Amino acid sequence: MKNNNILLLLKALMLSTSRINIYRNCKDPKKRKKIVGSAVGYGILSAFLLFIVVWMCVGYGQMGLTGVLPVLNALMITLLSFFLTMLKTNGYLFKFKEYDMLMSLPFEAKTVAGCKFLYMYLNSALFDMGISVAILIGYAIYARPAVWVYPVWIVLSLLLPIIPMLLASFLGFLIAAVSSGFKKRNIIQIILTFAAGFSVIAVRVLAEDMIRNEKTEEVLLNLSEIMDKIASFYPPAKWFEDAVVRGDVLYILLLTVISIALFELVFTLVGKRYREINSKLKSHEAAKKFKMTEQKQRSVLNAVAFKEFKRMTGSVVYFTNNAMGELLVVVLAVASCFVKADDMLNVILQGAPISKEIVYPAIPLVIYMLLGMVSTPVVSLSLEGKNYWIVQSLPIDKKDLYKGKMLFNMYLTTPFMILATLCLGISFGMPFVSIVLSLILGFVLLTFSSSWGCVCGIKHFKLDWENEVEVVKQSTGMTVYLLPNMFATMFLIVAAPALGFVINYNIVLIILILAAAGLTALCYGKVLKLAKNSDI
Amino acid sequence: MEKKAILEIKGYSKSYGNGKKAADDVNITVESGDIYAFIGHNGAGKSTTLRAVVGVLDFTEGEILIDGHSVKKEPLACKEITAYIPDNPDLYENLTGIQFLNFVSDIFKIGAEKRKELIKKYADMFEITDSLNDLISSYSHGMKQKLAIISALVHEPKLMVMDEPFVGLDPKAAYLLKQVMHEMCDKGTAIFFSTHVLDVAEKLCNKVAIIKKGKIIESGTMEELVGSQSLEEVFLEVYDEE
Repeated sequence: MKNNNILLLLKALMLSTSRINIYRNCKDPKKRKKIVGSAVGYGILSAFLLFIVVWMCVGYGQMGLTGVLPVLNALMITLLSFFLTMLKTNGYLFKFKEYDMLMSLPFEAKTVAGCKFLYMYLNSALFDMGISVAILIGYAIYARPAVWVYPVWIVLSLLLPIIPMLLASFLGFLIAAVSSGFKKRNIIQIILTFAAGFSVIAVRVLAEDMIRNEKTEEVLLNLSEIMDKIASFYPPAKWFEDAVVRGDVLYILLLTVISIALFELVFTLVGKRYREINSKLKSHEAAKKFKMTEQKQRSVLNAVAFKEFKRMTGSVVYFTNNAMGELLVVVLAVASCFVKADDMLNVILQGAPISKEIVYPAIPLVIYMLLGMVSTPVVSLSLEGKNYWIVQSLPIDKKDLYKGKMLFNMYLTTPFMILATLCLGISFGMPFVSIVLSLILGFVLLTFSSSWGCVCGIKHFKLDWENEVEVVKQSTGMTVYLLPNMFATMFLIVAAPALGFVINYNIVLIILILAAAGLTALCYGKVLKLAKNSDI
Repeated sequence: MEKKAILEIKGYSKSYGNGKKAADDVNITVESGDIYAFIGHNGAGKSTTLRAVVGVLDFTEGEILIDGHSVKKEPLACKEITAYIPDNPDLYENLTGIQFLNFVSDIFKIGAEKRKELIKKYADMFEITDSLNDLISSYSHGMKQKLAIISALVHEPKLMVMDEPFVGLDPKAAYLLKQVMHEMCDKGTAIFFSTHVLDVAEKLCNKVAIIKKGKIIESGTMEELVGSQSLEEVFLEVYDEE
């Protein structure tokens, strides 16, 4: 690969998405203020995340398990890199906006594809490094390693994500290659991505199950042995440990050489069919001749919601990002029909002596944890992109536009919430009143998710994106929506059952409903206010 | 000046999975100094052909040669002497105009002095010099079009491929582009472009091809094809006949 060209292209890609570049060259003070605000927000959230990881490592240190931290670091980075890349590959490597411009310039196809990969790698490197440095802090507190360990740890942590990311990219490439041969290529691509994702999750769960035999105490006692076992399945994790603990420089070289060789191999293969696959993915076959049949009239809100549905099914990145939660909820609901509630509790609570009534208030929260971590209104406004003029020029009140977008999110999530609540409620033997209260709580939480998502979507509206992934996965709106939502839900999943020790679980459910309804009302009010005052 | 074939499209076909052909046995030769118009209805296969020429779109049959190099076998050699201006340029929105022009100049290895001279010349000509420090996202469609044109001109290509280049340009910019096209053609550059503006094509071009449902139904020099009629009349006539 021509290194000079790859660096030039990489520089242009980084510059074109860098907020610093926008800040330096943008003349709109509002936009500049927004960039500073989101940088501060990112800083606070990153610090919070860093704190949690350090805290977790301190826990390991206090249990005398400092020795497992190097392997844990390697495995965490590997797994995160693999999963996140698999979900992002389609948007990064294929169907990106500037494809025509880039491919008409004198770049080899493998240079363009390889550069897109490196761009994806650099974008996630900061996140990976954040985790790695946090674990290193925890490790340093208890293990007091030699000075040389710090640079070795950092360098290796930068190298570690490359192999899993390359493997995930190649898998994404194979999925795109297979689906490009079909007429309904988007659907095939979505199905294959989910199938691959679930296969990997299934293998991981099976491996974990084999290793731990459902005994928490044993797991903790033999954690380092277990980590070694896991690491033996994936040698780079072991190399990381050997390099960091024993200072084996050979492994640094080995990891570097293998990463570079694999990069060359993967992108030589990808480059051979890159143009052909992109051509197929971008081509639109002529449909059969249209015959006028009866047409349906929809309300304004439903028309907006339907348009959003078509937008989502037309984008693999958008669809997979949203449907993952729904799919997991279906798996959970189906599993609850076949696995006894007591067995499920035993697995979740690792045999802790807690009655199942106590966990009732947590059930709608667990379902929400799966359904509410993404919300379509966060991204749907920005995803309008160049087509935003259409909704802008239509005689539609902004309030109705936002309501339509929220309505779609409700249509998308509510049926799954009802299904899972009923299945789990019946499986856990919940009384009728508790099931009704859980359904109400689930509904209110989803309404909150829609309106809070809409607030984030309007506040962090961005039309000039280069790639859908930027909006769907990496936007400020998504981060601001997700992190507080996720941490609050995780906290409540633990706190609500704890409260059940003191008061009746139905009262806990009612308190949660009232609290969520209050927050929803605030967010919904904010959406209406933004519809009136926002300049977008 | 001696004429030399710069673009040769030989038996080019592009079909989709269902067997439908977007381009069917297209044969076109554009020589140095030619301004070649490519006309046809919407969906006739103009953009598909242009995108295959510049190496963006893969194709199933035939051969496309640029200055003797095969687009399929030697894509880099072809792209180094070709400039492409799409109908709706998707540029890097968060680069400034000058950053984008520098990026393209770097790719084509244009020296600092020369790029300065050419960027200044064309940016002044198209009156966007003052905006070169602004982010592309703040540009209007016409300004983006002008920037794409400048980025194509700075590397002095042997072949210029343009898809609807006049759409979105103000009258002065459209006039200037026509002047530039003449200048380039005098220097030996071959220009191949699609358009719906038949008056412009008739006045500007020395050669023309009409495409319908992926097939070339007429092609040749403007004089031969038009004769005493207007291009518009000929176009409507042959389109209705076929």
